[in-house]
Amino acid sequence: MHPLLRQRFLSVLLLFLSFGLFSCVNLKAVSEFSASSTVGIKNFEQLDYTFLDHCIDRCEDDAINKFEFKRELECACDLYTKADSVTQIMYRTIGGYFEGLGNLAQNELTNYSTDAVVNAMTVTELGPLKIDENLAKAYSALSNTLLRATTDFYRKRKISTYIGEANEPMQILLSSFQGIIRTNLKGELRFKKERLHAYYMDMKMNNTLQTDYERGRAVSDYYQALKEIQSKEKRMDLFAEGIGEIAKGHQALYDNRDKLSVKNLALTMLAYSAQVEMLISEFNQLNP
Amino acid sequence: MANLTSAQANQLSDDFFFLSMAIADFRYENWERLTLDENKELSEMQGAILRCGEDILAFSTSLVMDEAAASLAKISSITLEIKGTIKTLTSIQKGLNAAAAILILGAAIVKRDPMAIGNSIKDLFITWKGPLA
Repeated sequence: MHPLLRQRFLSVLLLFLSFGLFSCVNLKAVSEFSASSTVGIKNFEQLDYTFLDHCIDRCEDDAINKFEFKRELECACDLYTKADSVTQIMYRTIGGYFEGLGNLAQNELTNYSTDAVVNAMTVTELGPLKIDENLAKAYSALSNTLLRATTDFYRKRKISTYIGEANEPMQILLSSFQGIIRTNLKGELRFKKERLHAYYMDMKMNNTLQTDYERGRAVSDYYQALKEIQSKEKRMDLFAEGIGEIAKGHQALYDNRDKLSVKNLALTMLAYSAQVEMLISEFNQLNP
Repeated sequence: MANLTSAQANQLSDDFFFLSMAIADFRYENWERLTLDENKELSEMQGAILRCGEDILAFSTSLVMDEAAASLAKISSITLEIKGTIKTLTSIQKGLNAAAAILILGAAIVKRDPMAIGNSIKDLFITWKGPLA
């Protein structure tokens, strides 16, 4: 081979190799961020509290207040079940996306199930926490992105396009999901605390308890129950904070989607992954 | 008639939370003056107002209201007033009437009945601003 040609060939080869190397390094960062995000999102299942749980708790509290015994607890919880259906759809769609993104970054076949998205697209009445037009478009955009992601042969090369297309709907979904957990679900617990306070206050005002031991026990029970609710609130806060970090991380991926081979991105993503992992660790420490 | 935004629904839920607390405070403050029936009635209304607040939070953006911003501002302002002064009420009847008016408003909101909501906001104002002290 002519020396000049060989030199050019080597330069091109070197360029390809370095591109491949950097891509590999930085797709690893995408993959690690996706993995941390997936774990963070899956903590939703560890929250151990749903709208339906809240409704049933309330129903039991009512039965206790009325000293009522029925063969079976009868609770009107349709509204709360519908609220759960919305959070479930959000959870499955967001979780599925990050799992899919992680698989794509590793150039593995993604086994992302489109069930969540399909459900989101076909359910017309999404319950009490209504999906507005923006959110509906977000589901639609994400669904298309993911469907193509699962079938596109050049997944790895297209990853920046997927991130680009998914960012806007993902930001909307993450923000709504964060709001529902932090405000609506956690907000229900404040009512639970107030009901608990009323229960013990009535006991006190009615002079129901006679001995010092009974009184002491009641106070201790009250604060123990309060502590348990506060722990749930803290877990919800940490989970919601994690969702916020995931949103920021995805935004950083989006902002740098054309520079996925730049080393700095790996460091940036590492910081987001570390932040999400720290919140996961704090969350796990609070788990009962 | 407009759907409430998520922030508006949260504010409304907050109002009902504080109204229920206000009724509880009134009840504890006047415990010795209340008859058994009055106490029971107030206790039930306190619980029902709390339930309205919880349902509002779960219903959230599917709630509707006429002139939402103005109606919500009225509810928030009367909540603030009730919360601040209910403990100093001397008339037990006024406390009972206020609790009933709050509960009727809550039920209208949860039922998503704009006309009933408008009327019950007016009734709550009349009850609270009325001559009884």
